[in-house]
Amino acid sequence: MKIIIELLAASVRIATPLLLAALGGILSECAGTFAVGIEGMMLMGAFAGVVATYSTHNLLLGLFASAFGGAALASIIATATACFRADQMVTGLASNILSLGLTSFLVRGFFGGQAPVMRLAPLPAISVPILSRIPVLGEVLFQQPALTYAAFLLVLPVHFLLVKTQIGLTMRAVGENPAAAFAVGSDPIRVRMAAIIAGGVLAGLGGAELALQELGTFTDGMTNGRGFIALAAIIVGRWQPLKVMIGCLLFGTASALALNMQGWGLPVSSYVLQMAPYVIALAVLIGIGRGVKMPAAIGRSFTRD
Amino acid sequence: MKTVAGKSVPETRAGDSLWRVVNKGSSFNRLALSVLAVLAAFAFTAVPISLSGKNPAVAYWALLRGAFGSVDAITFALNKSTPYILAGVGVAMCFRARIINIGGEGQIAVGGIVSSWIILTFPDLMSSVLIPLALVGAALAGAVWAGLPAMMRLRRGVHEVLSTLMLNFVGTLLVGEVLNGTMGEPGAGFPQSPLFPESGRLPILLPQTDLHSGILLALIAVVSCHFVLWYTPFGFRLRVLGSSSSAAIYAGISLSSTFLSVMLLSGALAGVAGGIEVMGIHYRLIEGFSSGFGFNAVAVALLGALNPLAILPSGLFFGFLEAGSLAMQREVGVPSSLVYVIEGVTMICVLCAMGFIGPRSRS
Repeated sequence: MKIIIELLAASVRIATPLLLAALGGILSECAGTFAVGIEGMMLMGAFAGVVATYSTHNLLLGLFASAFGGAALASIIATATACFRADQMVTGLASNILSLGLTSFLVRGFFGGQAPVMRLAPLPAISVPILSRIPVLGEVLFQQPALTYAAFLLVLPVHFLLVKTQIGLTMRAVGENPAAAFAVGSDPIRVRMAAIIAGGVLAGLGGAELALQELGTFTDGMTNGRGFIALAAIIVGRWQPLKVMIGCLLFGTASALALNMQGWGLPVSSYVLQMAPYVIALAVLIGIGRGVKMPAAIGRSFTRD
Repeated sequence: MKTVAGKSVPETRAGDSLWRVVNKGSSFNRLALSVLAVLAAFAFTAVPISLSGKNPAVAYWALLRGAFGSVDAITFALNKSTPYILAGVGVAMCFRARIINIGGEGQIAVGGIVSSWIILTFPDLMSSVLIPLALVGAALAGAVWAGLPAMMRLRRGVHEVLSTLMLNFVGTLLVGEVLNGTMGEPGAGFPQSPLFPESGRLPILLPQTDLHSGILLALIAVVSCHFVLWYTPFGFRLRVLGSSSSAAIYAGISLSSTFLSVMLLSGALAGVAGGIEVMGIHYRLIEGFSSGFGFNAVAVALLGALNPLAILPSGLFFGFLEAGSLAMQREVGVPSSLVYVIEGVTMICVLCAMGFIGPRSRS
């Protein structure tokens, strides 16, 4: 029983960066821009968060830096795709390469050519009073670090933003039919840019979660495909925050299981276990197959004339 | 999926502009565009170099010397360019048909695995049999690795961007897995296979240097893809598919078979690139040998404006850039990961230019 509780708690923790990135991706994709760049935004967030926290010893500043790092890359993507009508997926890929190079370069460049050993204490778990004493559920859900609570508490607001507010309606209109949205007075280019950058803030915080809360350090390319898993989770959850959360938990559980199996000493190689999240994501995508309805105008650039 | 003329069409949702410009722009414009993109990238990249407290001019000068400074430097760079050109041509063919195959890294990885396996299993074959056999094996492996996402797309509607990305991770982890298992060198302390026998190494082109014959294969691939793209029915079909999938349907072109064939072709080229890398450079399979190659291939294809002949200079550019950056790191202490910054910015500039001058797509 203890093993299962630990496994579930780990799943929730591992799902957190995926969830933050996926929520950011939803914002971008609902407004009609593929979010292939969230991998790079996470990496920028992780880098900026660790460097800022390491240099200032101020966690809050670190989190701000993470959000800023993600948003900075997002604004490059936003400018390229919305203003210059660059191809969204390949631009996303290019910005992932850019962020990989930039973070790996700067982590050495800032500290005189050699990457410093940055050891930060990972964020501690906070027990929620009363709730954490619920058997099983309390241990799984209410003894988590701060950013995990933040990520899961964001799901409902993002849902309401998209479904119940004027802003969300405008975003979805731009994602479904930018010409119509333009006709009723909103500016699709600006809406898309804002959505991508807001998504970058969330994805950057996802990177911060990974770097500051999970690992307490920055290493080259440390996001290691988590952004792509988050993209898969968005498709699995059909662009609906609550369902995407379930998708993230699913992939989180798969990773937690793979990690735990390494500990149990089963005769499965660590390489095969590391493949598990990707193979499972592919299997799930194959399983849902067609009939996934994406925002109608996603991937298409918009011009006023 | 949308339906055209009673058939369901796998929808390609990528932006229209990239492909239109590539099809229509004059060759001078395309060249100017690529040169400008590279210059812009070097200009942008001066910012992080200055941020790290180094002089960009010094760094770029070291990079240039490192790339062209000696015969060894040049042959090293030519060897570096070989897999980029091979995989880049494949990516360009896919992008022509508006198929975003970004799974080069995984395809290169499995190509390397299979060719290594063939060489280590049949070490006694003579080299004129073993090397072609290993290359064919590599091509088949790469083709399978690209065929999987093609089938996922055609059968189940899974977008190839996601599936090829996921298969990159699986492919590179597979290298570690086989080295951890049966193909690893016992007691090496590093995930690598035993050294290949002489018969399994690509012949050296220039005596006294490391330049191996892989670059010839890259040349052949470039010229054949140019021929296939512009002078064969298959090339025509894939260009039509790239211009308009509805036009392709009305012209009676089978979308799924064109989709599958171009993915297989592209995968095979990447697989060969993987085979060449292990047989020409390392003489063994080592973990992480394909790291970053697939994304480089995309950069190469874009800078070459998806034109097979232009892939050659574009691939050489990135090969020399990378070789030069390693020297730059050694000599002036500027980290070589700068290459990825230059690469990313170049790609974004090319994409922006293509999007901006391309015809306005109506949404």
